[in-house]
Amino acid sequence: MPKWFTPAAIVCGLMFAVAPLLIAQAPYESTMGLVQKIFYVHLPSAWVFLLSAIICGVASVRYLFGGNPRHDRLAWAAAELVVLFGAITLVTGPLWARKAWGVWWQWDVRLTSSLMGWMVAVAYMLLRKYGGPGSDKLAAGLALFGMANVPFIYISVNYWRTIHPTTNVVPTLPTSFGLPLWFSAVTFMVMYVLLLRLRVRLEEQRSRLDALYLSADN
Amino acid sequence: MRKLAVVLLLCLVGVGPVVLYAQAPQQQDEFVPIDELPPQDQLPAAPLLVAAYSFVALALFAYVVSVARRMATVQRELERLESDLKRSGRT
Repeated sequence: MPKWFTPAAIVCGLMFAVAPLLIAQAPYESTMGLVQKIFYVHLPSAWVFLLSAIICGVASVRYLFGGNPRHDRLAWAAAELVVLFGAITLVTGPLWARKAWGVWWQWDVRLTSSLMGWMVAVAYMLLRKYGGPGSDKLAAGLALFGMANVPFIYISVNYWRTIHPTTNVVPTLPTSFGLPLWFSAVTFMVMYVLLLRLRVRLEEQRSRLDALYLSADN
Repeated sequence: MRKLAVVLLLCLVGVGPVVLYAQAPQQQDEFVPIDELPPQDQLPAAPLLVAAYSFVALALFAYVVSVARRMATVQRELERLESDLKRSGRT
C-alpha cells in the first residue's frame, strides 16, 4: 500500500469520531426536527455515489479506447463503491422521507433515477462476476450509461415537479447547518479514496495471481 | 311487489346518507399540536435516525471486513503459488 494510506486512515477514523459531535450540536431544522439530521449522512453518501459513478464511467471509457487493464481495475473498484454508497443513499433517504414526507418512497424523477443508477452498478457487478470472457468490455459499456445518468440525477429536481428538495438548499445553508455537512462530506470523501485504493489493490493482487497461474500452466 | 321496491328504495335513500355520515372521519376545524395526537398517530424520529446512522456504520464496516477478507484470501493464494513455483524451479 502507498505511504499515505495509513496516516489517511487514521485521519479518517478521527474524522468519523468527531463528525457525530458536530452533527449533534447542529440546530434542529424548523419543520422536520430531529429526523433532518439524517441529512448529514444522506447527502455526503449521495455525492460519493455520484462521484464514483463518474469515476467508473471515465475509467471505462479509457479502458474501452486504450485497453489499459489499470483503468479496468479502477472501473471495477469504483462500480463496487457505487453499489455501497448508493445503498447507503437509498436506505437513509426513505428513513428520512418516512417522517418528513409521510411515505417511504415516491416514484419521482430524483428517486427513480437514483435507483436506476444503483441498479446499473449492480448489473455491472453481476456482469463482471458471471459474464465470462469479454464481459469487461460489455460492463465498460454499461458503466457509460451509469455515468450518463449522473447529471440527470443531479439536475432532475430543478426541472421536474418533485417533493425532493432542489439543489439550491446546500448553497443557502447557514454555517450552523453547513459546517457539519461539509465536515461530513470531507470525511466521506476521504473514506471513499481509502476504500477505492484498497479495492484497486485487491484487483491488482488478483491480476498478479492470474499472471502467476498462467506462468504455472505454461 | 312494486310497493316493496318503493319501500326498499326509500330506505336506501334515507339510510345511505346516515351510514356515509357515520363512516366519514370527523372534520377537523382547528390545528392540533403534534404532542396532543394519540400515541399511535405520532411517528417518533429517533428510531429512524438511529436506524439510518446504524445502517451507515454497519454497511461501511461490513464492506471493509469483506475487502480485508478477500485481500487475505488472495494474499494466501499468492504466497502458496509462489512457493509452489519456487519449489518446482519455474521462477
